[in-house]
Amino acid sequence: MRTGTKQRVLTLLLLFFLVFSSLNAATYTGQEVMSEVYNRDSGDTMKANLIMSLTNSRGSIRERSIVQYRKDSEGIERKLMFFLAPSDVRNTSFLSFSYEDGRGDDQYIYLPALKRVKRIASDSKNDSFMGSDFTYDDMGTRHPDLDTHTYLRTETIDGYSVLVIESVPKDTAEYMRTLSWVVEGEWFGLKKEFYLPNGKLGKTLTIDTFSQIDDIWVITDMTMRNLEKNTSTRIQMDEVSFDLEIEDSFFSERQMKIGTRG
Amino acid sequence: MNKKTSLLLLLLISVVLAPPLFAGEGLFSGMVRDYASLRFEAGDIAVHEQTVDVKYEYFGDIGRLYIHPTLYSNPNEPLLFDLKEAYFDFYFSNIDLRVGKQTIIWGEAEGAFITDIVSPRDMRSFILADFSEIRKAVPAVKMDLYLDSYTLEAIWVTHFIPSSLPDQDSIWAQQPNLSLPPTVTDVVINNPTPVSSALENSELFLSLGHFSNALNWKLNGGYTWTDEPLVAGITIAPPTATIDQGYERYFFFGGSMNTSIGSTVVRFESALAIDKPMNAFNPPQVSVEKHHQVQSLIGFDWNLFGAQYSIQYLLTYTHDHHDNLLVQMKPIQEFAHTLTFRVQDTYFDDKLTAKIFAYVETVPLNALIRPSLSYSLSDGVLIEGGFELFVGDEDGMFGSYQKNTMAWAAIRWYF
Repeated sequence: MRTGTKQRVLTLLLLFFLVFSSLNAATYTGQEVMSEVYNRDSGDTMKANLIMSLTNSRGSIRERSIVQYRKDSEGIERKLMFFLAPSDVRNTSFLSFSYEDGRGDDQYIYLPALKRVKRIASDSKNDSFMGSDFTYDDMGTRHPDLDTHTYLRTETIDGYSVLVIESVPKDTAEYMRTLSWVVEGEWFGLKKEFYLPNGKLGKTLTIDTFSQIDDIWVITDMTMRNLEKNTSTRIQMDEVSFDLEIEDSFFSERQMKIGTRG
Repeated sequence: MNKKTSLLLLLLISVVLAPPLFAGEGLFSGMVRDYASLRFEAGDIAVHEQTVDVKYEYFGDIGRLYIHPTLYSNPNEPLLFDLKEAYFDFYFSNIDLRVGKQTIIWGEAEGAFITDIVSPRDMRSFILADFSEIRKAVPAVKMDLYLDSYTLEAIWVTHFIPSSLPDQDSIWAQQPNLSLPPTVTDVVINNPTPVSSALENSELFLSLGHFSNALNWKLNGGYTWTDEPLVAGITIAPPTATIDQGYERYFFFGGSMNTSIGSTVVRFESALAIDKPMNAFNPPQVSVEKHHQVQSLIGFDWNLFGAQYSIQYLLTYTHDHHDNLLVQMKPIQEFAHTLTFRVQDTYFDDKLTAKIFAYVETVPLNALIRPSLSYSLSDGVLIEGGFELFVGDEDGMFGSYQKNTMAWAAIRWYF
């Protein structure tokens, strides 16, 4: 084949690929993509060890070590976290119930020094989680109906076809819009940007490591950077396991007091 | 430290250190603290105390061993050793059993004691000790039975342990509010007669709780002793009056609950003390009378702009009240109203915590206001400071300590 013909064929192939790709991507709406993300298989139960590294604006790093258990059933996401380090919060535990029907969360904290489980006010979804750059909202899965989602474009990151979705909160929120980079077909995020009401970029979430464990995609290393405060929080997960036999009764006052070993 | 204390300490260290040498999982944790306070009026350093608080947990297949010794060092005083807690936990499928010296906390109130009367209080520093340190452990057997979302708790306190009160030479000593004949110029208050260790003198408590998120509740009851002593009699031999003290028994029933209304947590707690013994002062004699007493508290907790807020209202009602009734040698009101307020916020990525906690008695108007700051120098290392401001009418519980208004500072190192 002559060089000119070769170029024409390649151009046609490329055009065909681009057109096909955009048609294929265009079959998704933003709402559909974020619903897929919300509904993707994340296991009915999960246990993981979390190391949270908080870096302040001067570069000093503090670490938090947590064991987390999660169970999703009957429209309720139950989470029980045991704090192992640092020493001043050791044996503190945190229990939360999040409801699919939109009810406010129920949250409890066990402070070993006080030997009492205390119900805590839970309107703090935008509050920092343990002084980190993650909010309670970031740590959970935000219901897609809370935002209006728009598909923007398709990109390729590390060989993955990634859909870029813009989400605008329906009610007032800390961030006026977010951009999510979602892996097509697998429905987990690779990157997220949070934009402030003045239009500036406020926070970025980057995913450094992800892997498939028990056929479920898990993000095992991610970093949230707060560009306003010049701080960052890295969360690393290990010993992740899914679909363990965990009774509903595990997510209880009793277990909060006993800790991980009971 | 005397020989007995040294031996006890040595034995304890052996017990704590021995298990990890051969098997199982042991975990040490604890805290070292240096605390000092400066009274404004007297200009003295009222306290400069070092505390070593050690916790050791040993986990086995069937349960847990927990030992919690504490050492206190004060200038020119002997080293004080306290075995705060020492117990065994046994975990079965639906039952937990705890045997040994243990602290038991009931109720929903913060800084008030309504149904929370299983463990007595250490009032030697009035109520300024940390909430975690103000409770005294009791020798007890506690069993929790779990049936779905219900918990039945039964507690047998084998020996009655009274509250610890300030010594008569302490800055926290309360002066008796008794009108004695003018010929009496000296009052001697004898230590309370101890309750013997007879089986019938043990205490029993029972609780049924339900955990359901929508509404969590507990019903409690018990047959207990007055944790603080009553005046058993006054002997007047001018110029001296001698006051004898003792403890009395009574039944109580109560309950507590918590729920959320919107994003606000609502807490409620109430207790009825049946025929609660209290003193009646008919000069020059003091007698023990029995009156029903109701204590009820409602509290609200909420967040606003990242800060935590809490308010509580406590009502104490004494049935068949008359003006001669006394508790701890102070007059009792028919209706006593107390409010508490707490505001807490964190700054600099949670490194700095600012907090104000206040108790307010409405009649007579007096208060304790406790602003404080806590800064995390590093993980587990806290530097703290604050004020204990006693204000208002000197006939009130808090106002009577106006001369003890103080500033304090502390450093804690958790390990």
